Amino acid sequence: MSSERRSAMHKMFFREAIARAVREEMRDNPNVLILGQDVGRFGGSYREFDGLFEEFGPERVRDMPVAEPAMVGMGVGAAAAGLRPLVSITYMDFMMLGLDPLINYGAKLRYKTGGQLTAPVVVKTTAGAKGQGVAHSQCIEAWLMSVPGLKVVAPATPADAYGLLKTALRSDGPVVYVDHKRLFPVAGEVPVDEIAIPFGSARLCRSGTDLTITAHSFMVRTALEAAKLLEKAGLSAEVIDLRSLAPLDINTIVASVKRTGRLLTLEEGQITTGVGAEVVTRVMEHLGPIDFTRVGPLPAPVSSNRVLEAACLPDAARVATAARLLQSSGKLVCSN
Amino acid sequence: MLYKISVPQVADVEEIRILEWHRQAGEPVAQGDLVVELETHKAIVEVRAGQNGYLRKILAEAGNWQGIGLPLAVLSDGQSEPVPEDVQALVDLPVDFEIT
Amino acid sequence: MPDQNLLTMLRTMKLIRAFEEALAARPDHGFQLISSGEEAVAVGLCASLLPSDQLLTGGRSIGPALARGVDPSRLMAELLGRSSGTNKGKGGRGHLADPARGFFGAHAVVGGNISIAAGVALALQMTGKDAIAAILFGDGAFGAGALHETLNISASMKLPLLFVCNNNQLSVSTPRSQALAPTHLSDIGAAFGIPSQTVDGMDLNAVRKSISKAANHVRAKRGPAFVECISYRFASHSTTARETRTSEELAEIRALCPIVSQSRALKAAGLLNDILAQELDRWVAETVEEALRFADASAMPDAEEALLDVI
Repeated sequence: MSSERRSAMHKMFFREAIARAVREEMRDNPNVLILGQDVGRFGGSYREFDGLFEEFGPERVRDMPVAEPAMVGMGVGAAAAGLRPLVSITYMDFMMLGLDPLINYGAKLRYKTGGQLTAPVVVKTTAGAKGQGVAHSQCIEAWLMSVPGLKVVAPATPADAYGLLKTALRSDGPVVYVDHKRLFPVAGEVPVDEIAIPFGSARLCRSGTDLTITAHSFMVRTALEAAKLLEKAGLSAEVIDLRSLAPLDINTIVASVKRTGRLLTLEEGQITTGVGAEVVTRVMEHLGPIDFTRVGPLPAPVSSNRVLEAACLPDAARVATAARLLQSSGKLVCSN
Repeated sequence: MLYKISVPQVADVEEIRILEWHRQAGEPVAQGDLVVELETHKAIVEVRAGQNGYLRKILAEAGNWQGIGLPLAVLSDGQSEPVPEDVQALVDLPVDFEIT
Repeated sequence: MPDQNLLTMLRTMKLIRAFEEALAARPDHGFQLISSGEEAVAVGLCASLLPSDQLLTGGRSIGPALARGVDPSRLMAELLGRSSGTNKGKGGRGHLADPARGFFGAHAVVGGNISIAAGVALALQMTGKDAIAAILFGDGAFGAGALHETLNISASMKLPLLFVCNNNQLSVSTPRSQALAPTHLSDIGAAFGIPSQTVDGMDLNAVRKSISKAANHVRAKRGPAFVECISYRFASHSTTARETRTSEELAEIRALCPIVSQSRALKAAGLLNDILAQELDRWVAETVEEALRFADASAMPDAEEALLDVI
């Protein structure tokens, strides 16, 4: 597969980018299969597996009972024994049920067997708040970043949804692939060529000079909106889409902050021990003390209540306010 | 009188892809006729004419994308009323739409 | 069953007993789970497996690993943390693995290997293999959700998975009768349409017959099967766990030794005499001695190896 070079582009929905990546890999390798709820004839809760059941049949696109511990365990075990499963967990909240087999077996397998076995499994899951309540809204990818042996990626665009999933399905160890409920209405250009996006590579999506905003997943869109607001206020924000949380592309972020001098990290997950905490710390390990602020949700569960959900989640206006505070005070800003 | 058909306001949808036109330019359209099918990220939207008229100009072909509320086609009561360049100012034709 | 196989099985039981006792006697034995008393389960199970099958176990893994044919020297080296061990010294008893020899591996999380085994079975099924996967777990794992989820899924998918529950009737300090509701643990099979049986785990021949029958069912691609082996462990749960039974109870239990009873049975059948028994014991002693020698002559891993094979 070629690296990120110019290719003819084709506009498609986020879900179509996912289906395309999976379809190509399933055509290419008979060992790729899907395990999940409503992935078969139903085509996935977001139609992200549309057409795959029709093309590949019930043996390779398997509807499973609700039993995340066993389903993740089976995916991990099947991977260890030579298959390449994609395990679909519809709500990231329910990944918690599968963390034991994923982490205690899957992520540790290569190490604990002294290299004899490895588990090339992709756990694909949808994070994020969208009116569905406290147990159907979480973004917990930060919890997974520190697990030795586990890779974690989060696309923010259809092109990256496609490219990162291609790489995930060809990885030789466990990968958690996190998309987001609010990304599914998004359409975007995807290369016609089969271009995989390597892990450990962040994407500069907007150049700027006054501060660096890092974000991932749906919050990249919020960051870009905030950048537009800031532009009107005379502030030039550079926006970096992390794309890959583990491994993290710290060099791209460091190079940016070196130029802009200020860092605002944005995430929908909690900022306590969050993605931003790790980004800030690593940047400072490279550059020494910098002006920074972490922006995230309120430290509360995210209710399905429309008013309370909106109060909890970061939006462009809040990000812009935090950025202006960062710029004017030049000091640590506590965002909640 | 001239009208435009715009992409209906569908909840949770930002833009659509035009799936198939069921009437061509120059053809008559009766109330209730299926004029065009649109694809959202979730489902297909069937757009039906809310009144009789003639389809005069298709503004975006199948496979193209259009945002919510933006124009798709020009219609008219009469068969040969002249079609203006600027369609934004045209009144929206009442439509029924069904999400399948 | 051919005489030679019967003698080999007896020898393997003796090997397990002597190997584990030698390990436990060492001051550097670390944290070990010994299976003295449960040898018939491991040996009867492995006698029913073919070379291409895969066996997965819980943390009481040494007996099953030896029964499966893992090299005793590489095994001892692993248990003593040497880089010449099966897992380069990095797994220890809780994660022993030798997949090339059909021992897919142990996993130290109680019940944690059960759904993994179903995944292995799925891979065998999807790649059209005739081999089966077998998962050995204890009564301590029987209450785990993973077991019940996996029974359901493997029955509904007709996976080539053999469930063997070694019910030694104690989960550390908790008697099975206190923790688990079914009258027989094999009763669980009926709920899922899985053929199930309970057998005396101290009787090698009974174990082997029952598990072979169950394995044949699985091999015929008729779906999973379940065998409960009722056994007794002679020692406490682990080398650090306190014993909960009285010395009277333990004396009664030790009288049920599967090695003693099998020796007696073979002698009665004219297949074993004192000379042969001594030969077996000598082979066992030499094998254990060689395993210890190999391990002691092997180096511990370098500190740098802590960062190898992580990702």
